[in-house]
Amino acid sequence: MRMKKFINDPKNLVPELLEGFTLAFSDKVRLNGTNTVVRATPKPAGKVRLVTLGGSGHEPGLSGFVGSGMLDVSVAGEIFAAPGAVKCIEAIRDACAGGESTLLIVLNHAGDVLAGNIAMQAVEREGLKVRMLLTEEDISGPQGDRRGLVGCVAVYKVAGAAAEKGASLDACVEVAQRMANNMRTLAVAVRTATHPATGQPIFELGDDEMEVGMGQHGESGTGRMQLKSADETAEIMLDKLLQDLRVTEGEELLVLLNGAGATTLMELYLVFRRVAHLLTAKRIRLVRSAIGEFITTQEQAGFQMMIARMDRELIELWDAPAQAPFFAKP
Amino acid sequence: MNDVICISDLRRMFAEAAKKIRQDQAILSQLDCIGGDGDHGTTMVRAMKQLEDAMKDENAKPLNARLKDAGWSVLGVDGGASSAILGSFIAGMGDAEMGQESDCGRLAASLTAGLEALRKQTRAIPGDKTMMDAFVPAVQAFAAAANSGESIANAMEYAAEAARRGADATKDMIAKYGRARFLGEKTRGSPDAGATSVALLFAGFSAALMQEKEA
Repeated sequence: MRMKKFINDPKNLVPELLEGFTLAFSDKVRLNGTNTVVRATPKPAGKVRLVTLGGSGHEPGLSGFVGSGMLDVSVAGEIFAAPGAVKCIEAIRDACAGGESTLLIVLNHAGDVLAGNIAMQAVEREGLKVRMLLTEEDISGPQGDRRGLVGCVAVYKVAGAAAEKGASLDACVEVAQRMANNMRTLAVAVRTATHPATGQPIFELGDDEMEVGMGQHGESGTGRMQLKSADETAEIMLDKLLQDLRVTEGEELLVLLNGAGATTLMELYLVFRRVAHLLTAKRIRLVRSAIGEFITTQEQAGFQMMIARMDRELIELWDAPAQAPFFAKP
Repeated sequence: MNDVICISDLRRMFAEAAKKIRQDQAILSQLDCIGGDGDHGTTMVRAMKQLEDAMKDENAKPLNARLKDAGWSVLGVDGGASSAILGSFIAGMGDAEMGQESDCGRLAASLTAGLEALRKQTRAIPGDKTMMDAFVPAVQAFAAAANSGESIANAMEYAAEAARRGADATKDMIAKYGRARFLGEKTRGSPDAGATSVALLFAGFSAALMQEKEA
């Protein structure tokens, strides 16, 4: 099937999309150099900076979470590809320009981690105070080798809130790591997307199939099965997540559903309804929820289900004010 | 015969390698559709242009500094893992002293330094179906040939052959590293795009040095 997308020259996709994005939210964000998005009004001096990096084509991720109460900087790469390490180094230098320290949050994908590691080596040599945190919560991979999916948003949120309150770098890392350790994500896909620059489908999936364990870039997992109903899919995914996180009766959970780009809110509400019922039946408390498109993969159909074990402090930080273009709390 | 390379050799090596990768751009992207998102050819062409251009600069820096600059210029472009690996390798080559002219032993030390830099950045090893499947045997073959007194052109020919064999061998492997590792059996049957690029890189280096030898 021929690609049908409203694009101009595929070579300019990323600068054009970021220009549009920053123009649309000029009260909150602006471009700083090539493909780096920063807050329109910087965080007050002295507070810990939050920087993230990652490929483009996943809008509103990741730059949509730059704003007060969340990220300070997002370094965007090409479509589905990590940004160059030099840009990451420059972004961290800028973030630390007033003597501040920085928490670099990286989703566990080979290219992103390479860029992060190279950047860390360089900025540490310069004596900057920077810590890197990996999010790796996708349960479709083996322990110790898991991808980072939509869970990063929760990490941005709680660490961002802590930083905004004036927490130290160590304290921000601690809260970010606690969030990261207590979250799990599983993805499902029912239809592929086309790569906007190459025009090629990013994977093949039969008309009557779905695949559980899909990665952020459409890389397939191993759980290919007959297409199931919203209720059945919710149950399959929630069970795997609860088991992996070892959730027990009485615990408190955040549940986040992230549409992949072409799955409707209608469908997500159907899935969420079943999740809520199942949790009640299991006597697990659903304390916070979020539903929408956070990190997409073009017009891929499917969604990611993220659950996280919450404690009092994490809930408080989750509820703290935030004003990012695609994540706001009053 | 004084068997050394200078900046003009490096220029031709990178120009020839860039040419080979441009020629095979579509194939590289096609291979990347199996385990990745189908843009490896585009990424490599962009990265090779950085290297080629960096070598064109007129300055009197020693070869290792030229390689360091070139590697960092690749790290400056967006290209995911493959650009980061290629950039780290070339920048890492610059960790070894080379002067304005480098003999076979110094070039071997430089390539080995490049490989060491890669090992700091990635845990991937040969057998994982990644660029390392070509980088490791290529550098080892060059170092072994240099050790036994071969000329630079011959050593690079062995390196190119080793890289090619390494890349070909990835055809029967299952990806164990990077994005493709979740695909399991589906990745068997076609060579790794990254390893194929590295084989082309060394084939280009070798072709450039062969021309010199024949000239």
